[in-house]
Amino acid sequence: MTAALEADGVEVWLGRRAKSRILDGVGLTARSGEIVGLIGETGSGKTTLARAIVGLAPLHAGTVRVDGTPVSGLRGAELRRFRRTGRVQYVFQDPLRSLDPDVTVLDSVAEGPAIRGDGRAADRRARAVAALEQVGLDPALGDRLPGRLSGGQRQRVTIARALAVDPRVLLLDEPVSALDAANRNHVLRVLDRLRREREVAIVMISHDLGSLAGIADRIVVLYRGRVVEEGPAARVLLEPEDPYTQRLIASVPSIDGPRPTYARSTR
Amino acid sequence: MTSPLLASDPAAAASAAAPLLRVDDLHLTAGARELVHGVSFGLAPGEAIGLVGESGSGKTLTCRAILGVPPPGVTVSGGTIRLAGEDVAAYTRRQWDRVRGPRIAAVFQDPASYLNPSLTVGRQLTEVLRVKNGLHRRVARARAVELLASMGLHRPEHVHDQYPYELSGGMLQRVLIAIAVSGDPDLLVADEATTALDVTVQAEVLDLIATLRAERQLSLLLVSHDLAVVAQLCDRVVVLRHGRVVESGPTRQVLDEPADPYTRALVADHREYGLDRLATR
Amino acid sequence: MRALRSAVRLRAAKIALAVLGVVVVLMVAGEWLAPYDPLHQDTTAILAGPSAEHWLGTDYVGRDVLSRLLAGSRLSVIAAAEAVGLGLLLGVLPGLASVYFGPVFEWLSLRVMDGLMALPFIIFAIAVAALLGNGLHQAMFAVGVLMAPSFYRVTRAAAIGLRQAQYVEAATLFGATRWRVVRTHVWQKVLPTVVVTTATAMAGALLVVSSLTFLGIGVQPPAPTWGGMLASDLGYLTQRPFGPVAPALLIIVTVAALNALADAIRDATGDGAPASSVPAPQEVLDDVPAARV
Repeated sequence: MTAALEADGVEVWLGRRAKSRILDGVGLTARSGEIVGLIGETGSGKTTLARAIVGLAPLHAGTVRVDGTPVSGLRGAELRRFRRTGRVQYVFQDPLRSLDPDVTVLDSVAEGPAIRGDGRAADRRARAVAALEQVGLDPALGDRLPGRLSGGQRQRVTIARALAVDPRVLLLDEPVSALDAANRNHVLRVLDRLRREREVAIVMISHDLGSLAGIADRIVVLYRGRVVEEGPAARVLLEPEDPYTQRLIASVPSIDGPRPTYARSTR
Repeated sequence: MTSPLLASDPAAAASAAAPLLRVDDLHLTAGARELVHGVSFGLAPGEAIGLVGESGSGKTLTCRAILGVPPPGVTVSGGTIRLAGEDVAAYTRRQWDRVRGPRIAAVFQDPASYLNPSLTVGRQLTEVLRVKNGLHRRVARARAVELLASMGLHRPEHVHDQYPYELSGGMLQRVLIAIAVSGDPDLLVADEATTALDVTVQAEVLDLIATLRAERQLSLLLVSHDLAVVAQLCDRVVVLRHGRVVESGPTRQVLDEPADPYTRALVADHREYGLDRLATR
Repeated sequence: MRALRSAVRLRAAKIALAVLGVVVVLMVAGEWLAPYDPLHQDTTAILAGPSAEHWLGTDYVGRDVLSRLLAGSRLSVIAAAEAVGLGLLLGVLPGLASVYFGPVFEWLSLRVMDGLMALPFIIFAIAVAALLGNGLHQAMFAVGVLMAPSFYRVTRAAAIGLRQAQYVEAATLFGATRWRVVRTHVWQKVLPTVVVTTATAMAGALLVVSSLTFLGIGVQPPAPTWGGMLASDLGYLTQRPFGPVAPALLIIVTVAALNALADAIRDATGDGAPASSVPAPQEVLDDVPAARV
């Protein structure tokens, strides 16, 4: 069976020189119904990888396939046609900046179907209402502008916007790191349901290892533009092999009390 | 971990001998709307308290009021804030200048916005040392490098001459902490100071704060939405909800056997996902 | 203090709108409101002072000044509007296109606009009128072309900040065309700036129309315009010293009202930040940066 998302040998350079690479031969696959956690520190290239996959960052080498079909070579009208299928969706890290401040929540969520030209306006609104309900938001919020929502609500609106076009692959950039525990749990449950009920392939970028522990099937660790470790979530989190992954996991604070003071490394 | 207030409730804490910080029945109002409705807690010398709650609970407002920098439009409409016995709620700007540094200092979530982008970090640290501690230029520079080194920054002489944009978020937060402790304060207020940092960097900064506490007998008021962060450093926890204290007590007691239903929900939410669950799954 | 200032600003906008409303009424209904035929020459009353019959007196061939002012307002305002309309069309569309339709158009349009900015209004208008015939439309065509760069620049400046906006990227990822992105996400953020510039440009255009007609460009003598009347009245300053006051006052008041309106709109919209981007109150309180302690 081919994976829903398959990225191979992805390279993104800084400027036009192959010398300084933000990503250096990174591979990432996600099967339908699978949640893949992508972890790494600031500057590791995890956001760039997601942006390169959806075509927002230039891909200097490598291929991206969706359901076996290469999409990384698409340009112009072909690319637009592919994007309108809504098969791959990207949820930005900062919901406040990724929602137009002058567009109501419902219109934002209905934007994908509107661009695609699905049905009539009333059908698209119904679709948007359904998407809002899917992420546990009261459709009555639909008339509000994004500025009048809480951070947790805004994050869910951006997820609803992606769901309104029925994606096969969902890439989320730090969807829970800015949320408090109750909102985080809510978002994680929505993602878990999407994976089970609609078999969406989900790539979740996060530095919150705790969230990934509860939900990810596999984990990919990115460090300075390279994949340093990859495997089933339980294996990577409980028995990390790579020194960087070990350091990452040892750093996670626990509610059960102070960590054994970790060797203070400074940089 | 022993503290005179460890096992006491807020009322008993009030009567404890000479607390460093004593917030009593604090009310904060914005226009006609009251946002904080009578918050009370105390902090003994050397103690670390965690102020937790969801967004909108009033924890940040309370913290700003304690620092004497409430958001525009927000005023203290009742209660007292005593810092080493003195009521600071009515302090003038000049009086605040006197206590900021030697008594109380703070670090926040976004260190970059508290530094001047066009001056080297060393220059900014030196300036504080010269103004607050009256050090001579050359002495101040040596002291600044020394401080940066004690923040665990490698090559402190080099960092001293760098501009804020050349440093990572974690390094900037260390510089901010250096500035905060340069006046040798009794109380350090950390408002979501590690929230924006990578998990490895967060661990390092938490370690740094723990070390500083031990070395300098620093008291700590830690404001955070993350219970795990509070569990790393704090002796006691104060849980806020909608501008009221719903529960307070020793950290382990509050987090392991929460008495208030809201605290229970908060802890349960936190524990629902986490590395610890993996081992038992 | 702040409330007081915003109230004054609000009042300034109201007064400006009221003045402009009167000007529009004059423009539409001026010919009917005029007590006399603006071209009728009453040879028995040449250069007469204000009287019950002629409220503002008569000019050097005995035409009623009030009637000519009322009738002239239409030509003056329409001419200015023509120039501004052309400026809007030639400025705003290329301004948006320069941001969203590729580097080639961007480069070309920037160079063309730079070239246009180097040309002086009145001299260029005179040259165009000489070339295309001495009519008001020709002159206004020239003025409109020269106004395009200011519209181009403000539109481009407002739009360029949105090129990398994440909601624009999000729309692109849904397969939106650039035209749709401009229509749904960019246009309403550029609009306040364009409105402010339009009001200012209108004021400028009125002055230019008045200057040109004062110089005799664009209008054939009998047809009344504000600037033309100012010019002819100046010739008879010794006989009728208060003559230029009425047309000059009308020009000044209208231009001032337009500028006041532009200021009020700019103040109300702030530094290009739409009011809706202000977060909910509780968030404001939780997110405020405090002074360094």
